[in-house]
Amino acid sequence: MATENIQHPIVTGKQLDVQLATEKYKSAAGWFWSGLIRYPGLMITSWVFILINSVLIVIPGILLGLGIDILRTDGFGSVFIYIILGIVGVALLTWGTSFISSYLWGLAGYRFERDIRQEFFDVVQEHSMAFHDQHDSGVLLSMGMNETNQIRFAYQPSLRYLINSLLSFILIAIYFFIRIPVGSNIIGVGNWEIGLGITFGFFIYLILAWRYAAKIGPVRRELATELGNVSSASQEAFRGIEVVRSFDNEDFEDEKFAVTSNRLAEKTKEEGYLSAFYWPALILIIITAVSFGIGLFWVSKGTLKFGQLTSMITLLLQLVRLTFMIPLRLLSLQAGLVNANRIWNVMTFDDPLIEPKDKIVADWSKDLAFDNVTFKYPGTERDVLNDVSFRIKPGSRVSLIGGPGSGKSTILKLLLRLYDPTNGSISLNSVKFKDMQTYDIREDVVLVEQDIFLFAASLKDNITFSKPDATDEEMRTAARRAQIDKFIESTPDGYETIIGERGVTLSGGQKQRVAIARALLANPKLLLLDDSTSAVDIKTEARLRAAMEELIKGRTSIIVTQRLSTLVESDLIIFLDKGRVVDIGSHQELIRRCPEYQSMLSLLPMGDEIIKAAMNQTDLSATGGKA
Amino acid sequence: MGMHGRPGRMLDRGEKAKLTRPVVVLVKALIGFLEGVTGLFVVATLISLVFAFTQIINPLVLSKGIDAFVTIIYDAEGIAYIQILGHFTTVTKGIIALTLTFAIFGIIGFFLNSISTRSLYKANAVLVDNIRTKLYSKLINSSMDYLKNEQSGNITARITSDTDQIATGIHLFTTIAIQMVVLVATFVLLLVQTSWQIILICVGSVPLALLISAILSRFGRRIILKIRRAFGIVSGKMAESFSGIAISKSFNREETLSRQMAVLNQENYKMAQKFGLMMNVTMPLISAIASITIALILWTGGLIDLTIGEIFLGVTLSGQFLRPITFLSLALPQIQTSLGSVDRIIDVMEAAPSIEDADDAVELKDDYSVSFENVSFAYVENNYVLKNIAFDVNDGEMIALVGETGAGKTTLASMLLTRFYDVQKGSIKVGGKDIREYTQESLRGAIGLIPQEPYLFSASVMDNIRYGKPDATEEQIHDISKLIGADVFIEALPDGYNTVVKEGGKQLSAGQRQMITIARTMLSDPKILILDEATSRLDAYSESLVQLAQRKLFENRTTFVIAHRLSTIHNAEKIVVLNHGKLEEIGSHDELMKKDGIYADLYNTYYSFQGLESISLDEIDTEEDEEEIEVSPMQLMRTNPEKFHKLVEAGKITPEMLEKMKKKAKEMGGAGMHGGTNPHK
Repeated sequence: MATENIQHPIVTGKQLDVQLATEKYKSAAGWFWSGLIRYPGLMITSWVFILINSVLIVIPGILLGLGIDILRTDGFGSVFIYIILGIVGVALLTWGTSFISSYLWGLAGYRFERDIRQEFFDVVQEHSMAFHDQHDSGVLLSMGMNETNQIRFAYQPSLRYLINSLLSFILIAIYFFIRIPVGSNIIGVGNWEIGLGITFGFFIYLILAWRYAAKIGPVRRELATELGNVSSASQEAFRGIEVVRSFDNEDFEDEKFAVTSNRLAEKTKEEGYLSAFYWPALILIIITAVSFGIGLFWVSKGTLKFGQLTSMITLLLQLVRLTFMIPLRLLSLQAGLVNANRIWNVMTFDDPLIEPKDKIVADWSKDLAFDNVTFKYPGTERDVLNDVSFRIKPGSRVSLIGGPGSGKSTILKLLLRLYDPTNGSISLNSVKFKDMQTYDIREDVVLVEQDIFLFAASLKDNITFSKPDATDEEMRTAARRAQIDKFIESTPDGYETIIGERGVTLSGGQKQRVAIARALLANPKLLLLDDSTSAVDIKTEARLRAAMEELIKGRTSIIVTQRLSTLVESDLIIFLDKGRVVDIGSHQELIRRCPEYQSMLSLLPMGDEIIKAAMNQTDLSATGGKA
Repeated sequence: MGMHGRPGRMLDRGEKAKLTRPVVVLVKALIGFLEGVTGLFVVATLISLVFAFTQIINPLVLSKGIDAFVTIIYDAEGIAYIQILGHFTTVTKGIIALTLTFAIFGIIGFFLNSISTRSLYKANAVLVDNIRTKLYSKLINSSMDYLKNEQSGNITARITSDTDQIATGIHLFTTIAIQMVVLVATFVLLLVQTSWQIILICVGSVPLALLISAILSRFGRRIILKIRRAFGIVSGKMAESFSGIAISKSFNREETLSRQMAVLNQENYKMAQKFGLMMNVTMPLISAIASITIALILWTGGLIDLTIGEIFLGVTLSGQFLRPITFLSLALPQIQTSLGSVDRIIDVMEAAPSIEDADDAVELKDDYSVSFENVSFAYVENNYVLKNIAFDVNDGEMIALVGETGAGKTTLASMLLTRFYDVQKGSIKVGGKDIREYTQESLRGAIGLIPQEPYLFSASVMDNIRYGKPDATEEQIHDISKLIGADVFIEALPDGYNTVVKEGGKQLSAGQRQMITIARTMLSDPKILILDEATSRLDAYSESLVQLAQRKLFENRTTFVIAHRLSTIHNAEKIVVLNHGKLEEIGSHDELMKKDGIYADLYNTYYSFQGLESISLDEIDTEEDEEEIEVSPMQLMRTNPEKFHKLVEAGKITPEMLEKMKKKAKEMGGAGMHGGTNPHK
């Protein structure tokens, strides 16, 4: 698998140093038609051979007529044999030119597909989380794979086919205009009236074919949507079969599916009705019939030879064969344009997150502050954070608590600069996050999320994802500190073991520890930890706690937790409710003054004991932490 | 038939399917699905056949017309006459007659073709719709056992791609039928109108056509398989990168992924390149052969003194041999594949028996006490996951099920009591009556299950909650959400209760998803409530909210709680301790602590740590038992064939799964190709 000749994005130390497609091209149309000029060498050669090929294709029909006339006048002689050999020769030549033109065109097309897929991927990756929240990843995937595939299809084979067909139309029309004497015989019909008539007929044909495709195109797209609906309807019901069954909703689902399925059937019929009647075909029938009549008339007058008549009819019949896929190809060209437009709109998403031009390196040994931060997710109306302010000293342990929707995880996301605050600011040592490049922030901040995401790659690749140049030693140390080393060593291929569907399936606790190893290797200045899932058994819990302790040690950490021990041990607790700060302080402080905190604890196991213990303590010194 | 027959598409089909039923049976089954449109189908097919005959009339008209004008006879007045089919007519009349005949047959052919195509489309759409809905009905009602063994993706494949395959198959079949009729008619016409030499030339092109299709099938299929694999790998990588976008962003790894993508993308291109090479060598060859055939016919025509019309006829009709034969040899394997789909669909229709209500089944009402009487159960024959379980639960009582992973808690409560599966030995009684004597509708209506993994539909939050009680008012939904403390976060969603859940709830946290499923179940007001780790993913604060609501929620319900959280277990009236499928201890918290058995042990080690005490790894011996590595069967097949075969023998891997894995293994090719590529390569 030679891959050396491909164009990688060049890495200059940090960010992607490639011009994104959205910067390079001005419009969807510009992007779509760029396929014609991306590989000029291939394209120009291909065009030349397409032209030669189109001429060659009509020659056998002409030679046939010539042969017939020669046979009638000169009989079965050497000239006749030359004509026959000529047909054979042209056939072989056509094979060659056809191969060269289609193959080169195909190469350009496949390269174009490869390139636009990569461009789409890069642009989508570059978009901020605001984009990814609003776009279904399944839809994006389908765009990146299927729709780019369809754009390629519009080029290869459709556009080439259409160019070929158009040239055939033109050349055959020319045959009716020209009149070239060859010895005592004639090539061409040489009558401009019939020539004009035929040209006009072809013109109408092409217009009707285009309109036909334009009419059927939308129906086809709706059909694809309906097909998608059927597929997702079935997938959803069967994935959630336990839910369906436990609520005894089989009949309900059944009826719902029947409706969806029926809609697809109706669309299929509609599409069938439209595509069954390809009216433009009638035009070619009539053109052929009329030419036949006129030809016979001329033959009877002696102004046309039989060979010419045969050539004429043969060429027209040949045209039917050469063009019968025109509607299909037009459809695919139109679909390609539509897809290019759709993808372009997605690619040119107006991103609310703007990267600063200049690089500012902030000092993580200073305070991190939220100042009156208000935030709503892009494209939504509600504030999920409202006037949130707090200050975190370097190296402190901070716990975030609050109900679902209180804004805990939003705070974590803002700290990664996945979004910018709507109002107010987040700053590090008085440098605003907005003025720092996301790359720099994310170098120093690491999030271990609740739903761990690992790649279907080796354990090694997953752990070193945060630091691809890590040495084996570093990786092993991280694994050991994350309590996952023994497990890894017991797997069939050790660190090379592939995880996921085609390898080893990890339990929740194991996944979490791999993620911790990954985070350890990144050695972040600020750790964000969403730890709301409780382990299912004691051993897992013990390992997890040890791993987490390793991770928290020696750095600033902000943790969403369900573990009381974590809560009690933290330097600062930020209690949130409906996006507002209810109270900030240490466990000792909150337990004394915050009724919501007390009531929460009292409802949890051992909570009463904790409250009692805290009340008994007489330590009143803890005052730090509050902003 | 119109605009079809892309050879590339026909090559792109699955592996050859071995049919388990005779073709006759499959075709009969298909005809069975035609209900309602049988007439239409027959008529459409007949029209197609008539159309096929019109296809050879026009070449004949042209041929006869040309020949008629070779000898023009003039009468005394100088009026020109020609002879067509033995009749003399003036040239003008002859021309008009010939032109009109040609045009009329052309137009008739057009309409016959269009009408039959349209009718076949309709019949096909109805047929596929019939199959699809019947299949769905069957599957949605079939046993849990069957559905669990099949992945939802496979089930969807049955419903979508297999039905689609059938549609394609029928379409191809009718196309082939028409082409074959045309072929035979052409053959006869040529035999009658021209000479045996012409027939010989035409037939002589057939082996060449077959050779080309053989090449296409042989190499083409291999390349297409590779392309599909390469495309699949790119697609997998892209899917993974998009779903893991937050991770790559937070570690600044977009560029690494972009480079991995570029490599895979290039491999995909290389495959496409090979495909292009093959297609572009073979396809134009067919045209070249067609031209050479023309040359040969012309040569022969000259040699044996055929008329112009006869030569013309030979030339025009020679094309009728080459393409249909190529088409046929490419389409037949596709039809085979379609039959394979029919086969699989009949498998589903015949197998997958659902649990049926007994004939004299009664409604469950009033008494919701539960007793397990010597219940034994195995998912796979003789491999009992529950052994002789017996205990009673009073109406309205709360029971906690405790035990390690794999002890059988979920099976007992979530799978058997709900009658997703029937017990093999013993019985489960509700209200003193075996649950098999109740209608499933009334049984499941009484039971509310909150499963481990919260599952949400792609509908609004409102509709997701309403799923528990389709006729619930909005107010009821607001009330229940408020009660469990979910209203705050729901209202904070972009569109509040009308926010549409995307991709199973990616915009919600795991805890929020769990809260919605709790609301859903509570809305249905179950008499028997099963909570299977229902609060495992909640944070401390949310947990406290649910705890607060719990007292109201559990009131007057027989409740089974599976939990590892102390908070939930504490409140239980009875605690049932399961260990390796056996009931080890039963009693209240205090009783069990006094007993100082498994529960006390568990409590002292694990549950108490949910409080403040620290746990250290030294206290518990983690070395003793290794964590279990769950290796996927695919991997096992490669690394540990012995164990793999044992699994096959034990029936844990069904033959169907085995078949699928082999196919997949083949698709994935050698060890060198794997999707999750190494970023350091």
